[in-house]
Amino acid sequence: MNSTDYIRIVSLVSDTLVKAGSVFREDKKEAYIRAINAETNGNAKWVLETILENANKAEENHSPLCDDTGIPHLLLEVGKYKAISGHMLDAVRDGIAEGLRKLPGRPMGIMGNASERLDQSGGLNPDSAGVEPAPILIRQCEENVIRLHILMFGGGPAIRAKTYRVFHKHDTGVVLDEIVSWATESVAQLGCSPCTLAVGIGRSHFEAASLMLQAQADGRYDVQSDLEKEITQRVNEADIGPLGLHGKNSVLATFMKIGPQRASGVRIVCVRPCCCFEPRIAAVDLD
Amino acid sequence: MKIEITTPISEETVSSLKVGDTIEITGCIFCGRDAVLPKIVRLIEEGKLDTLGIDLRGSVIFHTAVSSAGVGPTSSNKLEIESSIEPLSIAGVKLHLGKGEIHMETIEALDRNNAVYAVIPPVTALLNDKTFEQEIAAFPELGMEALYRLKVCRYPAIIAAAHGRSIYEQH
Repeated sequence: MNSTDYIRIVSLVSDTLVKAGSVFREDKKEAYIRAINAETNGNAKWVLETILENANKAEENHSPLCDDTGIPHLLLEVGKYKAISGHMLDAVRDGIAEGLRKLPGRPMGIMGNASERLDQSGGLNPDSAGVEPAPILIRQCEENVIRLHILMFGGGPAIRAKTYRVFHKHDTGVVLDEIVSWATESVAQLGCSPCTLAVGIGRSHFEAASLMLQAQADGRYDVQSDLEKEITQRVNEADIGPLGLHGKNSVLATFMKIGPQRASGVRIVCVRPCCCFEPRIAAVDLD
Repeated sequence: MKIEITTPISEETVSSLKVGDTIEITGCIFCGRDAVLPKIVRLIEEGKLDTLGIDLRGSVIFHTAVSSAGVGPTSSNKLEIESSIEPLSIAGVKLHLGKGEIHMETIEALDRNNAVYAVIPPVTALLNDKTFEQEIAAFPELGMEALYRLKVCRYPAIIAAAHGRSIYEQH
């Protein structure tokens, strides 16, 4: 890769991070409009309208949707005849740093050795770019491109997310019951609802969590499977509502990805109650 | 109908607020969360609050960090934040501003001290347009988690706990 390509990738990644942190996708805006029109609880309707107004303001200003600007999580898709190099990954990393400074990201990188990072005694890095991205997830894609998805993960959903085993008893309904139970509890605790539920089901905790991340990249508010619709509907029956103030819209949609499964009585399920701004996501082709 | 509230908040104003009321807050408010609130509480317990040169009577505490990214509520039911609500109310805080359901013990403590809890949507971009000044009031070494004083105009919120009642009761 020559220096021109390097600079081009840094710029593309930087702009994409700012977009992920400041712009609602169109299908999400439409989901909010549908929810506002369907909501009969006055307080809930006001919250939904305010969140959408905030999104429009953030997009207009290219400024953060939320002050918890999140930890960058990266999904890199690679087409069959494409190659990625260590140099390209360096450019991606520099682009993330530049984007965090431009957004600006909240300076919440914790400094210090292992113990100091645990108890936060090493202080905060004042540089927005001090927030390191999570390890990159790579998958193949059908299109012959190198496509980077940037997702910004906030702290609230991380506190309430859960990855654990479910004994399925050879009944899909058992797994769904458990997901609905976890989600109902976590959405009530989250505060920043309406949520989008991101669900991954795999054979290990790593696989389930990676499927949960991919579900956010692939999910659409206007394309929902029967299983996704059922989860959304059942959690909404709990009357938690936006910000927990009651109402019909605790959850806008469910994005679920079911991977290969183990010949066993157990399924590993990861459920993340993504907050009212998540998935904060944008994608860019790097080649 | 929105109720306009200006700081410092009087005892009479707090007494008149009801669960579900939509309010707009104008004036100077304090901001703090997990790191700084326990330090403030410790000073209150030691009778040393005056060393900070701040007056909490009639004040608002917004559970947020303050950074270049802006402000937005963190969960008020985090252990170190929720446990600060009673001692801060005793010290004169009248309105605790955050998000998420709080426990009945906290709601009862608010009632005993004629204070309320309100939730604010996490609308950082909008709040940025409603924030006019900010300064560190105490513990600058905590960076974005220091105690900040903000001058704000018409911050939107909904009363979620007041006079022993909670908007979350049906859950």
